[in-house]
Amino acid sequence: MPYTKNPEVLLATRDRVLFRFVAATITLFLLFGILADGPSSALEGFLRLQTSPTRLLSDFTVMEGVGASFVNAACVGLAGLLVLRFNKISFSGPTVAAIFTMIGFALFGKTLLNCIPIILGVSIAALIVGKQPKEYVLIAMFGTALGPVISFVAFEVGFPPFLALPMSMLIGIVTGIILPPLAITMLHLHQGYSLYNVGLTAGFIGLFAASIPSAGGMDISTIEQWGEVSNPWLIAIIPALSLIAIFIALFYYGRRSWKEFAAIMRLSGRLPSDFCELEGQGGALLNAGILGLAYSAFVAIIGAPFNGPVIGGLMTVVGFGLFGKHPRNVSPIFLGVLAAVLIFGKSLTESWVVLAFLFGTALAPLAGEFGFVVGVLAGFLHLVVVERTGAWHGGMNLYNNGFAGGLTATLIVSVIEWFKTNERK
Amino acid sequence: MKRREFLVHLISEISSFILQGQPRKMVISLHQEADGIHLAVIDDRQRSDAEIKEIERSLNAARRPELAGYYGEMAGHDLLGSARLNLVGWQIKHADVMKTPEGGVMLNLWIGGEAFEYHKFTLDEPSAREK
Repeated sequence: MPYTKNPEVLLATRDRVLFRFVAATITLFLLFGILADGPSSALEGFLRLQTSPTRLLSDFTVMEGVGASFVNAACVGLAGLLVLRFNKISFSGPTVAAIFTMIGFALFGKTLLNCIPIILGVSIAALIVGKQPKEYVLIAMFGTALGPVISFVAFEVGFPPFLALPMSMLIGIVTGIILPPLAITMLHLHQGYSLYNVGLTAGFIGLFAASIPSAGGMDISTIEQWGEVSNPWLIAIIPALSLIAIFIALFYYGRRSWKEFAAIMRLSGRLPSDFCELEGQGGALLNAGILGLAYSAFVAIIGAPFNGPVIGGLMTVVGFGLFGKHPRNVSPIFLGVLAAVLIFGKSLTESWVVLAFLFGTALAPLAGEFGFVVGVLAGFLHLVVVERTGAWHGGMNLYNNGFAGGLTATLIVSVIEWFKTNERK
Repeated sequence: MKRREFLVHLISEISSFILQGQPRKMVISLHQEADGIHLAVIDDRQRSDAEIKEIERSLNAARRPELAGYYGEMAGHDLLGSARLNLVGWQIKHADVMKTPEGGVMLNLWIGGEAFEYHKFTLDEPSAREK
């Protein structure tokens, strides 16, 4: 593809290329879903998922099978794509990261039913303050992390059927309305050094969402549904997507992709680092593909299962490969998590440990900006914190690692900023 | 209130960028009307042509409402690490960067809505404004 510096052409090309990548991803999930269990079984399971409890850690591949989970993921991804198109937002690093996060978490918590009220609520919040909904579209998409709140009210609290669904929708909309101001406030706490800002926000809201039913005597202890048996479709999906990303990069952008990839690795990754805009989508897609293959290999090497949550984690690694993560800044985090696992004698294949390796990469910007030692420290602290935070919000926040990561980043950033501000020159 | 807060953060982010270069002098000039704003920031630090081009590129980044409305709120707030001119660029109409006779640079930023025509809004061209 001939290189141009014309911004209009660049934008249109980037949108077209990234749209094809996202469309291929959604199609792959749908196709794998239908092939895995057959169309009717997949569809029936998909419909049952809409009315199931979805608090962390509900592995949909265990609850209704691979077929239903993948169809759900494709549908949620399609909903995200339609939200972007409806708001006339072009594809870029952050929007691809948002869609991939929605797809990944639709394997263990997000459903069409529990996503829509939150997206609606965030849009209403924008209108309340005189903004256009497109200005909060990323908050809306990432904010679907609180989908379990809706499912909890609809299917766990025990309201009469005629009341359960309207109540859950109303609470979902209200949750969406308060998301933007909190998300913006939380950004200032860690200053963009945790990539999953809505994770911190949703965890904060989840504390209150869990406390209210708990005060009413309800049991809101977290669920653990963790698939132990890997399935060829589950094993193949992320490597397939990663190879598609690499193929698109090299096909459309050729050798330039490698140069852009090298340039991306010099960036810190701090929010908002749109690698597509900063260096180019060839390099960004190459980066995403390489990260996807590397982390898939890691999961295979340690013998962890490829299940819903693990695929979800791998999807965020690939998605954020266009928006903050690259091999140079994730490696120290990885080593820090590993150090904590070895020092405290945890099992490498325990569910929360595997997820900490995958989702702890949210702290990559700390390593990217402040260096190897800070990155290792961040990974280390992240592992010890994330073991505890799930219980605080009762699994209402799907981005538990985002919550723990945000807390860790806030701690580290506060100390660094205080020191830099007061150091004697 | 909204405009004032926006200007404070904008000036803060640009100032942070300029001050990172440790200039001896920095001048900020603001001209605002109902339909738009012109902000000029001048320093005395020498920069290469490549640096000036990069500054202009960051400040003229395509408008990204999905980023400006959310991450743009960090502009002028979160000053740890390098200043990020693209946070500003997403939220302004147009920017020019030029070398000054004294050896520094002058950043001209124009802020306004869709109807705001920045080329008619400058103190150097009073005849254009009178039209």
